[in-house]
Amino acid sequence: MSTLIIIDQPPYGSWEGREALDMAFSLAAFDQPVTLMFCGAGVNWLRKGQNAGKVGQKSVERNLAAAPIFGVEALLACTEACNRYGLTQTDLLDGVTVTAVGPELTSRYDHVTFAG
Amino acid sequence: MINRLIEQTETPARAGVFTLVITGAPYSSQAPQTALHFASAAVAAGKKIDRVFLYGDGVHLASSLAAPPSDETDLARSWSEFLLANQIPAVACIASALRRGLVNEAESKRYQLPAANLREPFEIAGLGEWVDSVASDSRILYFHRGS
Repeated sequence: MSTLIIIDQPPYGSWEGREALDMAFSLAAFDQPVTLMFCGAGVNWLRKGQNAGKVGQKSVERNLAAAPIFGVEALLACTEACNRYGLTQTDLLDGVTVTAVGPELTSRYDHVTFAG
Repeated sequence: MINRLIEQTETPARAGVFTLVITGAPYSSQAPQTALHFASAAVAAGKKIDRVFLYGDGVHLASSLAAPPSDETDLARSWSEFLLANQIPAVACIASALRRGLVNEAESKRYQLPAANLREPFEIAGLGEWVDSVASDSRILYFHRGS
C-alpha cells in the first residue's frame, strides 16, 4: 500500500502539517511506502533558512531533512504553488522534486490523504 | 483529482469496510457530526466500521469533561453511545492527546497530572493503529475541519 500525504497548510500557523509529518514518519517506520507532497501555502515548508524561534516553534527544516533517513520516499513540491510563492529550486531544501499535482500523480498511490 | 472521479473498482479497498479518521474538533468543526452521520448510515446499510481513529484536534471528541447545554447535541456522548452499541473500537492518538490535555488513568499517572478525562470506550494508542488500517484493505475516510 503506497501512500501520498498532501500538506497544503503553511508551516507554524497550526499543528496540522506537523501532525501530517508524524503520519508520514509512522508509515515509514512500519516499512509502508510514503511520499510527501507540498502544495498551496504548504510549499513554504520547503524554504531554506527558516527561523521559527521567534514564534516559539522549532524549525520544520530539520524534520524534513530527516525524512529520507526515516524512509520517506520523496519530498514533492507543486510547480504552480512554487511559482505563486516565487520559489525556485535553489530556494528549496535539498532533495525536493518540483512536480505538477493532479490525477497523474495521485493515481500512482493506493492511498491519498490531506493534512487537514 | 477534480476532473476524474475514480471508480470504486479502481481502488484496492474492500467494499463495505471503513476506517474513519476524525481530525476536526467538536464545536469548532462539523467533522465529528458528519462522521457520526456517515457511520450510522453505513452500519444501518450493513457495512462495517473496523476502527475510528481520532487525530489532531479530533481527540477532543474523547473528552469526558465536555458539558454542552442540554438543548445541543452532546457529540462526545453520542459518539461513545454509538461505538458501544456497535462494538466499534475507537482510538485517540497518544501524541495528539497528550499535547491537548486528553489522558487516561495510566498517562495521568505517568505524567503526574491531577486528573484523567478519557471517555469510555475510547482508548489511547499510537499512530501504529492508523498505519495498521492503511496497510489493511479497509477504506479510510478522513473527516477534517474544513477551512
